[in-house]
Amino acid sequence: MTATITAQPGNAAPTPGARTRSRAGRITLVILSRYGTLIGLALMLILFTVRAPTVFPTLQNFTNILASGSLTAIIAAGLTMALVVGEFDLSIGYAASFAGLLVVGFMALQGLPIWVAVPLMLVIGAIIGAVNGILVTKARINAVIATLGVGTILTGLGFAYSPFPIVTNIPPEFSVISLGRLIPGVPNSIPIMVIVLAILWVILNKTDLGQKMQAVGGNREAARLSGIRVDRVKIFAFITAGVCAALTGIMLSSLLGSGTLAAADGYLLDAFAAAFLGSATLRDGEFHIVGTLVGVLVIAVGFNGLSIFGAPSWAQQVFSGGILIVAVGLATLSRRILKAG
Amino acid sequence: MTPDESTPLLQVRALSKQFGGAHALSAVDLDIHRGEVHGLVGANGAGKSTLIRCLAGVIRPDAGELMLDGEPIEITSPRDAERFGFAFIHQELNLVPHFTAVQNILLGVPKPTRWGMVRWRQAAAVARDAAARVQADFPLDRRVDELSVGNRWLVMIARALVQNASMIAMDEPTASLSDVESEALFRIVRELSASGVSILYVSHRLDEVLDLSDRITVFRDGRVTDRAVRGDLDKRGLIRAIVGQEIVTSRRDTRAEVARTAPIFEAQQVQDLPMVRDVSFEVYPGEVLGLGGLVGAGRTEVARLAFGAAKLDGGSFILDGKPYRPRDVADAVAHGLALVPEERRSEALVLDKSVTFNASLAALSQLRAVASLPFVSDRKAKNRTLEVIRSLSIKTDGPSQEVGRLSGGNQQKTVIARWLLPGIKVIFFDEPSRGVDVGAREEIHAAIRRLASDGVGVVVISSDVEELAMLCDRVVVMHEGVVTGELAGDEITERRIIELSYAHVQEPQEELT
Repeated sequence: MTATITAQPGNAAPTPGARTRSRAGRITLVILSRYGTLIGLALMLILFTVRAPTVFPTLQNFTNILASGSLTAIIAAGLTMALVVGEFDLSIGYAASFAGLLVVGFMALQGLPIWVAVPLMLVIGAIIGAVNGILVTKARINAVIATLGVGTILTGLGFAYSPFPIVTNIPPEFSVISLGRLIPGVPNSIPIMVIVLAILWVILNKTDLGQKMQAVGGNREAARLSGIRVDRVKIFAFITAGVCAALTGIMLSSLLGSGTLAAADGYLLDAFAAAFLGSATLRDGEFHIVGTLVGVLVIAVGFNGLSIFGAPSWAQQVFSGGILIVAVGLATLSRRILKAG
Repeated sequence: MTPDESTPLLQVRALSKQFGGAHALSAVDLDIHRGEVHGLVGANGAGKSTLIRCLAGVIRPDAGELMLDGEPIEITSPRDAERFGFAFIHQELNLVPHFTAVQNILLGVPKPTRWGMVRWRQAAAVARDAAARVQADFPLDRRVDELSVGNRWLVMIARALVQNASMIAMDEPTASLSDVESEALFRIVRELSASGVSILYVSHRLDEVLDLSDRITVFRDGRVTDRAVRGDLDKRGLIRAIVGQEIVTSRRDTRAEVARTAPIFEAQQVQDLPMVRDVSFEVYPGEVLGLGGLVGAGRTEVARLAFGAAKLDGGSFILDGKPYRPRDVADAVAHGLALVPEERRSEALVLDKSVTFNASLAALSQLRAVASLPFVSDRKAKNRTLEVIRSLSIKTDGPSQEVGRLSGGNQQKTVIARWLLPGIKVIFFDEPSRGVDVGAREEIHAAIRRLASDGVGVVVISSDVEELAMLCDRVVVMHEGVVTGELAGDEITERRIIELSYAHVQEPQEELT
């Protein structure tokens, strides 16, 4: 279509139709790439409301959606930090499982009080992130390989620590983390998510560190030649991802009331899907916290709808994998449009 | 017309090419005869490489025609060039590192097969014949990444022979070869030409061009300015042809003499092998020092060393009277050094971010709302950006416009804006006005002069001799990693800079240690 326009620039008569159509097509593409996620979310909300008017659009159900989405949101927001600096972190799901098992074990097996066990586990999460970061920046191992290796090691360590689920001897107040209601009617996981996302948003958008992270992700060499210590910035991003993963694992165990091997592994794909959906939301292929939150909502609403309509469990996995592919596709489209200018 | 001995192999007629508004080639005529060594010389940007790229099918000329054996041809792709029998060997040798020499020689050549399988024994025999013609005396089953650079050149030439090339263009062949390897290459060039292959020989090394070439064509500013047959020209004459008549005697604005009491920055016998062998110079506060020389003279490498982006092999720097050895770029910046790199899009800018974002990258700690807290004040960042937009006359819709949408000159100004900081003592500009229009160039020069008059030591690396002559208080010229001369005041002329750029230099004295 563009070819016909450029081929006969002088001949105006036959072109207007083509021109408008191609422009309309372009605008549609831009809208789809920037607002596609939001449109999809809105369509799902409308569809579910129409099809299940008594079950879906209730305060209770929306609270459920947010509560289940909050864990994904936290781990995905941490991942977003790694993606912003242009790296990958495939260890987050395994790190979350590891943290969920160990934090329960610390209390049930080692007898640590909750106020020691939880902070200790967050510190371990930071250390896991730091190891990832050092492997990637100092040892220069490809991030996909390094974090996959670290994640697998964590799975093994978790198995060594306790091959069986830990269900007894857990202090009852542990469940308060996710299920307590400091705000009446609102499970604590929701305000925790809000606080974590707010902190990460402020770091990314309002601090000099956040500006440096965006510069490193945008053009590594330009960042380095501006005097930014690229390695440190990247290690920080990995640490954030590690802490968020650990927190998600802790919250999941609190929710389940047990520490189980591999319980949180599935968050990995959802986190990636959310972050990539987010990168195609409002901005052109750029990872950002608000986008990631929208991505999480898309996934959470989708899962919720599937369970309301009694879809079989395999449908969840099909949805999960499908949404990841759609997400990356949309993000790629966004970036292509950005390039085309 | 039937090809006979008197028809040139390749005739180039009125070939023209513009980039932006600039004439990279204007109406160039050139004949290449069968079996001749044809030398192409000219300063940086004179048009040699544009011509080669047109012949190689990498770029399309705007006008003009090419004739092969008297028949008009059109080269629209590298495949065409290969089909017409042209082979091109650049400095970045186009080899597959983990393939053997045989595999590389046969790359892209249809190989004898039986039942769809390559008959390697037969194929290898073809490669071996070609290798014998270039006197390759190394085992051909070696991986090419285990071969010396000289032997890799032989592999490339052998590939050209396998492809039945009638003309081989060689771009700066000896730049990375040792003397012995160069001698071997010269011998092969002569033998190839004796066997009827034409060689297009591009080099900055005038002695070898004079020695090898049957004919020489000199380029300046996109035009052919001189043609010579063997024996017509000597090195002085060649340099004169390269420099041309200096029309502009001096467009330098009169300016106050720089007070040269204590240098702000010194390089002492700096070394970063193989590109930088022995470089010493000093810059005084308030001075614009030019670093002249040909592409590959090692000037960019010197700037990167000073800026902590590369590690010193030897020598030292002195900053403000104190020894200075940056650990990394961040350390160099903390010491008050700045660099405006050569490749602004890949090395300086985050293209999809705003002008403010890009202009603020080095100033983040100074833009905090409260100095002790790590929060950047959007208001301060925006105000600073508005200020630099005004002072550098950056043409933009506003501070939040994406930098990728600005013109080259305004992108360059945004990079400069990044370093307009109170603590900067020394700033390096690497090709500050490349790809920039004339108006922006003047404004960038004005900004450079202003930085100097604020007491900063400024070093300008430029391959544009006119720029050096207009802008600099003093010019240090380098040739192949060694300083060949220094010019000050009225001595700074385009001709002197070019002469020193080509100067034949004695080997540096025995290194201490």
